[in-house]
Amino acid sequence: MKQFLKILKFEYLNCVKNKAFIITTAVLMGLMIIGSFIPGIIASFADSENNDSPDGEKNVVAVSNKIFENNSLKAMFESVYPDNDIKITDEDIESLKTNVQNQKYSFAVLIESNTSFKYINLTNGIYDTKTQEIYEILKSAYTINGLTKKGLSAQDAVTLLNPQITYETITMGTDITKNYFPSYILMMMLFISITSYGQLVAQSVVSEKNTRTMELLITCAKPTNLMFGKVIGSGLAGLTQLAVILTTALCCFSTSFTSVPEEVSQYINFPVSTVLLALLFFILGYFMFAFLLGAMASFASKSEDLNTLTSPIVFVLTIVYIAVMMVMTSDSIDSGFMVFLSYFPISAPLGMFVRATLADIAAWEIVISSVIQLVTLLLFGILASAIYKLGVLMYGNPPKPLAILKMVRMQKKK
Amino acid sequence: MKIEVKNITKSFGDKQVLNNINLECESGKALGLLGRNGAGKTTTIRIIMGVFFQDSGEVLVDGKPIDRENIRIGYLPEERGLYPKQKIGEQLIYFGMLKGLAKNEAKKNTIRWLERMGMSDYYDKKLETLSKGNQQKIQLAATLLNDPQLVILDEPFSGLDPVNAMLLKDVVKELIADGASVIFSSHQMNYVEEFCDSIAIINSGKIVLSGNIAEIKRSYPRNTLAVNSTETAKMTPFIIREFANVTDSVETDEKSSEVIVKLKKAEDKNRLITTVIQNGFDIDGFRVCEPTLNDIFVEYTEGGI
Repeated sequence: MKQFLKILKFEYLNCVKNKAFIITTAVLMGLMIIGSFIPGIIASFADSENNDSPDGEKNVVAVSNKIFENNSLKAMFESVYPDNDIKITDEDIESLKTNVQNQKYSFAVLIESNTSFKYINLTNGIYDTKTQEIYEILKSAYTINGLTKKGLSAQDAVTLLNPQITYETITMGTDITKNYFPSYILMMMLFISITSYGQLVAQSVVSEKNTRTMELLITCAKPTNLMFGKVIGSGLAGLTQLAVILTTALCCFSTSFTSVPEEVSQYINFPVSTVLLALLFFILGYFMFAFLLGAMASFASKSEDLNTLTSPIVFVLTIVYIAVMMVMTSDSIDSGFMVFLSYFPISAPLGMFVRATLADIAAWEIVISSVIQLVTLLLFGILASAIYKLGVLMYGNPPKPLAILKMVRMQKKK
Repeated sequence: MKIEVKNITKSFGDKQVLNNINLECESGKALGLLGRNGAGKTTTIRIIMGVFFQDSGEVLVDGKPIDRENIRIGYLPEERGLYPKQKIGEQLIYFGMLKGLAKNEAKKNTIRWLERMGMSDYYDKKLETLSKGNQQKIQLAATLLNDPQLVILDEPFSGLDPVNAMLLKDVVKELIADGASVIFSSHQMNYVEEFCDSIAIINSGKIVLSGNIAEIKRSYPRNTLAVNSTETAKMTPFIIREFANVTDSVETDEKSSEVIVKLKKAEDKNRLITTVIQNGFDIDGFRVCEPTLNDIFVEYTEGGI
């Protein structure tokens, strides 16, 4: 135990003192600080977009109309573009083009008949939805025009076409719409942190093999202590990094999100219980995969072998991530497949986290899944230590996974 | 303390790499483990260290199976390596603690061994900033941090310049004098002859020769004489003429000013010396030519592997 604690402390300090680790933490903290300004930046951009021209005048939108009744058409355009000055005109297309070109008009609409129009702009953006908006305006104008011709007043026609319907959703279980965003973000963070911190362990093993420190190490300490010390030490370093980054994020975003409207902020709220669940499943998932990655890395003679050896494990985790994400987007959180993903040890860290945050499940389900993961990770730890002892002194071409298991079995027999 | 390796066999897959290996080394003695590359020396050492498990046979200390946690072992592996980006003092203390020392003791021993290696100034330096030879001295300090009872050195002299080799030689001599059992493998026969009382030559996984070096040498025929003289030019034809019937060959080694006479029978040595003296030749010295360890090594390992 004493030896294990010494190795754990050494590995932890080794990680947190590592230049790359410090730089990554600093960069991520920087990104969080910059990210916290984004809501403000977006708001200021939105303001400037809606704003009028620099001299304080509103942007002019010209509507060349010879078809509909001018006042009601102007009112309809104003309701859709309240920040613009709507000018009803009878200019021809050339004049409209010239004025848009000269930026006298923000954009122009030429109504050719009661079922066709031309939309003239200076720059046509990918996200420009004005054709759809104008289409809706003219469709309404057309319908109102038709209804008034049939004897209905314009006011009655508008009321008939735009009934005010109110609604309320009453959720008896978990409101996925509210938890979806935090659950999605934390699931993504879980996936990224499990793979990246697991790779940290793998790289540390390869580096000890590359620098030939390994033979001295395994003659000074038990492989189980070395493996558990390395994995837990790196895991604690990972948790330290996460804690630093999340604290930074919390401090920065808590102030910047005050400007976010209530209807938006309710969807990006991270409840403490969700964060704690993410922490629990990070610990379980990280240890499971870190043991496997560390064990496989022990067969790598050089850094280039590392990808070949660890990619099957990372691939499995990626498949799990994609499967869980697909289930999330298809609204089938309570499906049998998702239940399987939440109990199967390899997929449980992500699967159970998503079910626990999005579906209405009992606490015992989380406990059982956690116990399954805990037992699996201990088995992985013991297996990894056995593989590690075999692999660390093996140089040359790395063996295939089945050959590795065969070697472990033979070693156990001896 | 007496360490014994008894009837060790080891195979990797279908290839048998060790076949019935037997060795022993007592306190205050050094055993030279000799063999060509790939002969099985490192595998034997790794079995002693518990890195590999033997297929059969045993490693005993004072007649009981070795308990590596309860004896102090210092191991210098053939594959040298420490943490290149770590400070030397820090990592030596870490290795000392892994070997079971308390932190204070590990620090004290680190300072002592760095001083002994002439590396005190490098305590706070990173290993990667040192030359290869100096890194090897740090590695040796890491090996000896726990003042081991059993010292296993795998090719300790490779990569050392003559001055550092001398330092290592002195350290090994001190360890032997302090009662440590030293097993070391080397290709440099002069060092082996200097420290080792006994040797074991491994060839293709088998011990082909083992025992006390002096006795091994003595077991060779003592029928070759080297006579040192300033008159080798006159002496050589004289011996050829006078001892034609009892010699196999007579040669002059001008570099060492010696006449090397290989007699048919060792009993004729005294008569040859007496005759040369009686005939007035100026003799500086004479000796019986024993085979060098190198000759013995080549004889037993040629054609192996």
